[in-house]
Amino acid sequence: MKSNNDIILKNINKSYQKGDNTVVVHDNFNLTIKSGEFVALMGPSGLGKSTLLHLIGGLDQPTAGEVIIGEQRIDNLKQANLTQFRAHNIGFVFQSHHLLPVLTAQGNIELPLALTSLNKKERQQHASYALQLVGMIDRANHYPKELSGGQEQRVAIARAIVSDPTILLCDEPTGNLDRKTADEILALLAQLNRDFGKTIVMVTHDNKAANYASRVINLESYVLEQNNCSVGEHL
Amino acid sequence: MNILTLVWRNSFRKKMRFWLTCISVMVAFFLFTTLSGVNHALTSNVSNSNQYRLITSHKVSMTQSLPINYQQKIAALSNVKRVTYASWFGGYFKNEKNQLAVTAVDHTNYFDVFDEYEIPKDQLINWQKTRTGIVIGQGLAQKYGWKIGDKVPLSSSIWMNKNGSFNWSFTVSAIYQTETNSGDSKKVFFQHAYFDKGRAYAQNSMSWLSTEIKKQKHVDDVIHDIDSLFEHANNPTRTTTEQVFIKEQAQQFVDMAMVINLVVIAVFFTLLLIVCNTMIQTIRERKNESAMMKALGFSSTRLIQGIYFESLLLLGLGATAGSVLASLLITFVRQSVNDFLPGITIEPSHYLTVFALVNISAAFCSVFPAFAIKHIVISETLGGKA
Repeated sequence: MKSNNDIILKNINKSYQKGDNTVVVHDNFNLTIKSGEFVALMGPSGLGKSTLLHLIGGLDQPTAGEVIIGEQRIDNLKQANLTQFRAHNIGFVFQSHHLLPVLTAQGNIELPLALTSLNKKERQQHASYALQLVGMIDRANHYPKELSGGQEQRVAIARAIVSDPTILLCDEPTGNLDRKTADEILALLAQLNRDFGKTIVMVTHDNKAANYASRVINLESYVLEQNNCSVGEHL
Repeated sequence: MNILTLVWRNSFRKKMRFWLTCISVMVAFFLFTTLSGVNHALTSNVSNSNQYRLITSHKVSMTQSLPINYQQKIAALSNVKRVTYASWFGGYFKNEKNQLAVTAVDHTNYFDVFDEYEIPKDQLINWQKTRTGIVIGQGLAQKYGWKIGDKVPLSSSIWMNKNGSFNWSFTVSAIYQTETNSGDSKKVFFQHAYFDKGRAYAQNSMSWLSTEIKKQKHVDDVIHDIDSLFEHANNPTRTTTEQVFIKEQAQQFVDMAMVINLVVIAVFFTLLLIVCNTMIQTIRERKNESAMMKALGFSSTRLIQGIYFESLLLLGLGATAGSVLASLLITFVRQSVNDFLPGITIEPSHYLTVFALVNISAAFCSVFPAFAIKHIVISETLGGKA
């Protein structure tokens, strides 16, 4: 799956029950993200940006439609297969880093590698390399409580990329950071996209953050445009 | 960093909670192991008893006597190999604090029926020829420094002699040893003939008979024959196997096995609730981390394994500490309690039971957290509201 990792969302419907009401989040939504793109998903709250990210990451299933990554349709995978797929192909960076407080930065980054067949030395080498990439090698033996917010997020990015996934899904990665630190993190993501060809899909409310992306999708206008096309087609 | 490292680190995340729970586990297993040792002491006589021997006593009570001529009548029954008899003396040495298990026995064949007492042949013959002779256990000989030929005065709390005294004089004629450590090596036996002649009353009677049968398959028939034989006599009998008899005697005081089972059930039920609660709290506190690990590609099974190992570590540490402490205690007090709890020890099989209990408890304590882990929805737990 490493060569072609285009993300295709095809005729996606997503709704959920809230009491007696059915809330429709996405109705016949289509999107293609090319391999190697850095896409920023923007728009007002409640439009389903995070939901899209979860659908791409296999954390959630669409009510109808298809989610295809590369040549693999993932929306109908069994949980065990989906878990494995995620482990090998997708990295996550959330607004809150969710690092394990009992492990050092190095230990947290090694965590996803516990699922691989790498031996201890190889795991350490991979983790060190990831730490180096995010500029945190000198903090390898620090525990999360000993790191600043920006440093924690860097470690979280290192953890997301250590198993060399092709896709990086970032949900408000700079939401909790000050401007300067946020810029550093965004520059790091842009570097990962530019130098290592990672496909990055980032949900953000921040226009400045979106400037780092190669494509910005404003979900509100995108959906409107899609609906107009669809109406036009029907006419 | 591997999963076991993570289990270890997670276990000690809340040190106070971990150690308090661990101590409660330790206390439970300390109690369980100690009671198991006591139970062994009370039941070892049952398991060591002979499968071919029956005990016959008065139907009303052990304290009622039976005529000595019952011996010949039972011996004449088919499938009976030998019959011997005995009476309880209720003896002590010097003062009543030094209680001894003293029994008057038929010197002609008692040790043929009870061949687990190993007595050198010359000493046995010596005892049979010495009217006031006693056979004592090796343990008693060591305790009081008695040796063959020593004159030993013993007193009875029940039997007065013809002189109007409760003091009887004996001579050590033989010292026996037993094959197993659990057998009491502090018993005293003397000739029933001397007892019968010497006592002030109840001549020609005894307390119980021991019948050795030819084949074990005859046990029910012989029991029936003996009790039928005396059914309409002045002194009707009740016959049981030796095992049943010993068990009934022990149960007169307390059904230890039942007490132990009840204590163990109560303790383990409480323990399970405590450990379960700890593990449920644990998983609740780490819901976000579990969701993140699932997002990273850890399956629910892997996370549940981690919780199981954490429970196992907690229970294993507590159980090991509790069992070791109880074993040390029993080793330490074995000598001092040997008089009333001979054979108190921990059977090796007990540790297998502890091992099994720890594993089963760990599995049980992982059930609720497993349910919680299985139902974590990553998108809801970690997801933004955008």
